Amino acid sequence: MKKKKIMKTVTPYLWLLPSILLMLIFILFPIFEVFRTSLSEVSRAGIIKGFTGLDNFAKVIKGPTFGLVLKNTVVWTIVVVGLSTLIGFALAMVLNNEFRGRKIARAIVVFPWATSLIIQAGVWKFIIDSDYGTLNTLFMKLGLISKPMNWTPTPGAYFAWECWVGIFVTIPFVTFCVLSGLQSIDAAYYESATVDGAGFWDKLLHITLPLVRSSLTVSTVLNIIYVFNSFPIIWTITKGDPANRTDTLVTYLYKQAFYKGRTGEAAAISVIGFLILCICASVYMVLSLRKEEQDA
Amino acid sequence: MNKKCLAAATIAAMVAAVPTVCYAEDTEVNVIAAEYGQNTAEWWSNFVEDFNKDNPGIKLNVEVVSWNDIYTVVNTRIQGNNAPDILNIDVFADYQADGLLLPAQDYVSEETYAKMYPSFLEQSIVDDVVWAVPDLASARALYYNVDILEAAGVKPPTTWEELTAACEAIKAYDDSIYPWGIDMTTDEGQAAFAYYTWNNGGGFVDENGEWALNSAENVEAIEYAVNLVNSGYTNSDPANDTRYDLQDMFGAGQVAMVIAPNSLPTYIAEGGHEVNYAVASIPCNKGESVSAGVMDRFMCFDNGYSDEELAAITTFFDYFYEDARYSEWVLMEGFLPATMAGGEAVAAADESMAAWVDIVGSSKFYPTAKAEWADVKQGVIDAEQRALLGEDVKTLLDELQADIAG
Repeated sequence: MKKKKIMKTVTPYLWLLPSILLMLIFILFPIFEVFRTSLSEVSRAGIIKGFTGLDNFAKVIKGPTFGLVLKNTVVWTIVVVGLSTLIGFALAMVLNNEFRGRKIARAIVVFPWATSLIIQAGVWKFIIDSDYGTLNTLFMKLGLISKPMNWTPTPGAYFAWECWVGIFVTIPFVTFCVLSGLQSIDAAYYESATVDGAGFWDKLLHITLPLVRSSLTVSTVLNIIYVFNSFPIIWTITKGDPANRTDTLVTYLYKQAFYKGRTGEAAAISVIGFLILCICASVYMVLSLRKEEQDA
Repeated sequence: MNKKCLAAATIAAMVAAVPTVCYAEDTEVNVIAAEYGQNTAEWWSNFVEDFNKDNPGIKLNVEVVSWNDIYTVVNTRIQGNNAPDILNIDVFADYQADGLLLPAQDYVSEETYAKMYPSFLEQSIVDDVVWAVPDLASARALYYNVDILEAAGVKPPTTWEELTAACEAIKAYDDSIYPWGIDMTTDEGQAAFAYYTWNNGGGFVDENGEWALNSAENVEAIEYAVNLVNSGYTNSDPANDTRYDLQDMFGAGQVAMVIAPNSLPTYIAEGGHEVNYAVASIPCNKGESVSAGVMDRFMCFDNGYSDEELAAITTFFDYFYEDARYSEWVLMEGFLPATMAGGEAVAAADESMAAWVDIVGSSKFYPTAKAEWADVKQGVIDAEQRALLGEDVKTLLDELQADIAG
C-alpha cells in the first residue's frame, strides 16, 4: 500500500525527468556558464585565468559606447515592438472580416514570417542601397526621381530602416496571435453592443481589447524578448556601423567577443541584457495579469 | 551451431581489430586548416591521402574550417584541452601570449626553414623567437579602369596630388562614376588605415616597433582619406561598402580606381563582369609607394610531444613545403608564395603573377605579432568611421593612442 503511494508521488516526476534534464543541459548550464564567464578573466585564446568579480561589468559600463548602445537597444525594442503590435493588431482586425480573397491575404501576411531573417535583411539592404538598390531603380523608372537617391545618408536613417525591417518581420507574429484571440470572441457580444447603440470605437475599447488582452500579452512579451535579442537584421544591414551608431547590445557583444576577443566583457554584456529582459518581461506580465484579474 | 556462430564472430572481430591495432601504433598529427575558398577542402583531402601513403607510421588528420567559425572552433578546443597539433590561421599572438605555442625552430627542419622569406618570418617574432611560419600571402595594389581614365584624360595617379586631380577629372567626365573606392568597414577598415598612413611615412608603429597611432603623418593621412569622401570622390558609404561591394562596383565600371588584392581578376571574372583594367602602385605622398601585405601562418601547439610525435610534425612541414607541392598550394586559390623557391616557381608558371611576387616581397604587414593588435585594428576602424561622421581626426587618434599605449 505504502509502495503504491510512493509510486504515485514519484511517477509524475519520472515523466518530467527528461524535460528537466534537457532544460538543465541546454538552458540552465549555458546560463550558468555565461554568468561564470562574466565574472572571470578570460584570455583572447579563451582560457579562463581566474575570478575577477565585477571587473568585466565595470569595464563595459565605463566604456564610451555602452550608453549609446543601450539607448539604441531601448529605442529599437520599443519602436519595433510598439509599431509592429499596432500595425499587427489593425491587420488582424481587417483579416478577421469576411471578404473575398481572405485566405490569400492571410497567406501573404505569413510570408515575411516564413522567410529567414538574414534573407529578409539582405533583401532590404539590396532594396535601399544607393548605388545599386532596386528602390532607386523603381523610382527612376517611374520618373519620380532623375538620379539615384541616398536613402541612408545618416546613421539615424540606417537605424530607421533597420527598425522598419524589424517591424515588417514582426507584424505577422502579432497578427496571428491577435487573430486567434479575435476568432475566439463570440459574435453575440458585438450583436448585443450594436443593438445597444455602440459604435466601432466603443466595441473596440470595451469588447475587443479586453478579450484579446491575453493574446496581446503573450505576443508582446515574446516580441520584447525576440526583438531585444535580435541579431540578424542589424548585423546584415550595418554590422552596427558606423562607429557603433546602429549597434544594439547583441551586435555590440558579438563584436566584443569575436572581433576584439574580449569574451569576459561580452559575457558581462550578455548578463546585463538578460537581467534587463527579465525585469521588463516580469513587470509587463505582472501588470497585464493584474489588470486581467481586476477586470475579471 | 551456436559455437560455430561464436567462432565466426570471434574471427571476424579479430580480423576487424587488425587494422585498428596497426593504426594504434601510428603517430597521429591533427591539423586545423582555414578554408580559403572552394578548392581548399579538396586540396587538403588529396594532400592527406598522399601524405599518409608516403609516410607510413604517421596518420595525418586535417579538419578544414571556414573563416567564420575557425576562431570559435580553436578556442573551444583549447578550453577543452584538445588543441590541434598544427593550426593554419592568420594570427598567432593570442595563443603565444597564453604560452600555448612551440617555437617554430623546434618543429620545422632547418632545410624547410631556410626556404622562407626572412621578411615573412620576422612578422611572427615575439621576444626574439619565431612562433609561426608563413603559409601564403596576398598583396594589394591599385587597380584602375583603363577606359574610364583614358576617357577622362588622366594617367594612373602615383601621388596624392595626382590622385585628387584624377578624381576631379573623372567626376567632370561622368558624375555617375565614383572615381575612387574606399572601404572603412568593421571587417577591413584597418586596410584603409594602412594604405594611407604607410604611404605618408606613418603607420601603426614607429621605427622601434612601439604603437604610434597618433603621429602627425597618420593624422594627415586619415584627414586626406576622409576629405576624398567628403569631396564626393568616393563611394557614398565607406563605413558600409565592403571590399567585395567595391570589387563588384569596379567590375561593373561604377568605380574607376580601387586598391584590391591580387585575387581581384579572378573575383571579377567569377562575378561575370568584364572590365578593361590595369595594375599600378598605390599612390603615395611621402617616400616610395608601399603595398599592404597580408600573411597567414602555421603554428604548432605545445601538446607535450614525444620525440617521435615531434618528428612526425617536422615531416608534415617538410612534405608541405616541398617545392612542387607548395607551388600547387599557393596557386590553388590564387595566393602568393611565402618561400623563395615557391616565388620562382609561381612566377615561372604564371607571368602575371611575377610582378605580384615582387610586390609581396617588399610589402609591409600589419603588426599582428603585438598582443594589442585586435584592439588596435578595431580602434582605427572606429576612429575612421567617427571621422567620417565629422569628428576631429587628431583627437580621435590621440584618444586611441592613449587607450592602447596607456
